Amino acid sequence: MYDGKAPLDTGPFALSRKATRRMLLLAAVLGLALVAWALTGRQAGPVAAQPQPATPLISHPLEGFGDCLLCHDFSGIVPQPPSHHAYESVGCLACHQESPDLPEAGAAVPAGSSSRENCRLCHSRPITMTLAGGETLNLQVDLSTFDHSVHGVKLACSDCHTRQAVFPHPKVEVATLREYAIANYQVCSRCHFSNYNKTLDSVHYDAFSRGDQNAPVCTDCHGSHDVTRANEPRSKMALACSSCHVAVYEEYGRSVHGRALQEENPDVPACTTCHGVHNIQTPESAAFRQESVSLCGRCHSNAQLMDKYGISANVMKSYLNDFHGKTLTFYKKESSQIWVREPVCTDCHGVHGIQDPKDEGSIKANLLEVCRKCHPDATANFPSAWLSHYEPSLSKAPAVYLVKVFYRLLIPFMIGGLMLHILLDIWRLARNR
Amino acid sequence: MTQAQQALSPVEGAAATEEVAHGDLLGREAAPEHFVRFNVVERVQHFFLMISFIMLVTTGLPQKFSTTPWAEWIVLHLGGIDTTRALHRIFAVVMITVALVHVLSLVVSLVRGRLRPSMVPSLRDFQDVFQEVRYSLGLTEEHPHFDRFEYRQKFEYWGIIFGTVVITVTGLILWFPVTFTQFLPGEVVPAAREAHGGEALLALLTIVFWHLYSVLLSPLTFPGDTAIFTGRISRERMMREHPREYARILTEIRAAEAARRAAEAAAAEAAAAAERAPPGKTPQGGRDPPENG
Repeated sequence: MYDGKAPLDTGPFALSRKATRRMLLLAAVLGLALVAWALTGRQAGPVAAQPQPATPLISHPLEGFGDCLLCHDFSGIVPQPPSHHAYESVGCLACHQESPDLPEAGAAVPAGSSSRENCRLCHSRPITMTLAGGETLNLQVDLSTFDHSVHGVKLACSDCHTRQAVFPHPKVEVATLREYAIANYQVCSRCHFSNYNKTLDSVHYDAFSRGDQNAPVCTDCHGSHDVTRANEPRSKMALACSSCHVAVYEEYGRSVHGRALQEENPDVPACTTCHGVHNIQTPESAAFRQESVSLCGRCHSNAQLMDKYGISANVMKSYLNDFHGKTLTFYKKESSQIWVREPVCTDCHGVHGIQDPKDEGSIKANLLEVCRKCHPDATANFPSAWLSHYEPSLSKAPAVYLVKVFYRLLIPFMIGGLMLHILLDIWRLARNR
Repeated sequence: MTQAQQALSPVEGAAATEEVAHGDLLGREAAPEHFVRFNVVERVQHFFLMISFIMLVTTGLPQKFSTTPWAEWIVLHLGGIDTTRALHRIFAVVMITVALVHVLSLVVSLVRGRLRPSMVPSLRDFQDVFQEVRYSLGLTEEHPHFDRFEYRQKFEYWGIIFGTVVITVTGLILWFPVTFTQFLPGEVVPAAREAHGGEALLALLTIVFWHLYSVLLSPLTFPGDTAIFTGRISRERMMREHPREYARILTEIRAAEAARRAAEAAAAEAAAAAERAPPGKTPQGGRDPPENG
């Protein structure tokens, strides 16, 4: 090592110590200037060398002249090929090798031409990309599916893929497919704002905001490029829910409602009929339990609808007229937070697995068990205290019917007689004056 | 036959009634200004029956007519349906207690031999109804002469008795449906509910139109008959509204007066006889006569 005392070289070109110092100083100045020029010149210099991207984000489809010209035509496409007219009959690839430089980052997708056509160039091909987490993101879009979707004639790719409206596309930052969906679903709110807003009040968003990445976002139920009307056919809704709620879906599928829905019956409730659509609330709340009766009543009080199936439209009325139903009605008036211990429709009929009550042994047989949840000492006689939605009549509950008729007759007769007596009395007293 | 009726022969009774009805005031000097119509036990019974009835109607009717706005208003202002039902059961216990006290008081009266079956309907009551209607229609100028309780009051009394039995039994079925269906069919519960509501409505309408007219609004009692609270009724009202009872009491008073006079006369005669008798045995016994002291 040079210790700073001995001469650097003792050979024929040996310099004096002073000269050596000057040389070193000069070299340092030159070196610094060179570095400074290199650093600034890269930005300011007019002929800066194109930086080689480390890895192309998306490889160019390199199949020929025509494809290239879709972007790189001669009318202002970026980057504009200067003076290529001489090569019009020569294929691009004659000069440009198979790993061409990418266009400058941030270049806009050509204006004036259909962005869709531009996108199609790449995305109609089986291209994929590998996300950081190792999953494969399929980048191929079946345009005929998109054309048949509700958005097909209305939206261009970049209407939703706003970030991808520039080329080359910005780097995909997400690591997983799920993150990709979550990062992009909010684009729906640009048009479907009110429905998006409703989702913010939903039990799904609640789970999402608590960090549950599997909570559904728009595209999980509606799909993305293949969005069709959610209720066409109606069973589609139930299918969407079934992707998470498998057990409920299967139970529902065996129910009187579910079986009819499989036949695309327009009258039976699908999942969303009861649970709502975008602002789905938890069905385990006191408020949902309180409202569940009116929920069933929406259809089961509709005489026109019930007549079609030979079902009484008075089932809600008869329930609400009974002790438990009256309690429910008052609780609803008091507060939506009161947990109704009294049975509601679903306690006897079930929830998702509702069967036809006329089927042997479906409800009647289990009724005592239901009663015993609150009346543990109830005996076999007890359930018939509930008249099974029947209006009292001579054939159904004759005792109740007769008592009712008795008072219907007695009260007007008695009160009418007493009133008559009073009027006679007043009349006489008036005449006495 | 009651003691009073036994004390008053039909002929005497009729004569006394006539006397009173025609304004014969000869008996006035002997009759007190006021009569005790209801004793303390009866007044307390009425008070608690009234309070419990009002509260039971207030808490019960909204349950029967649960869909009406006023029912909702009442229930919410009472603190909700649970509170309303709790109150209903509390006052049900009060009313049942009143009923038991009433039965007990009847039994006590019976045991002590003081039970006056003044509430027992008789043929006379039906005749009174007929007479009253004729009077109201102007077919006769003679108002029926009532005894201690007129037919209206008897009707109401027995209405309350039967009504209380029905409402209590059905109410207990509704309160303890599990217990009752241990040995009764389940259908009794909705039947009891129907009867409970029907009976309650009947009772309410009877009280509002019949009782309140009779005791508050009738031109004869307006602004209100206070006898059930003070226990007292004036001599004039006794003469007007209960002439037969008045006559009977008057006869009893007269008889008592006559007996007292007879006893006095007998005593005076005995004293006179004693005066004529040799001294040393005075009616004063061993006491020193005051004039001698």
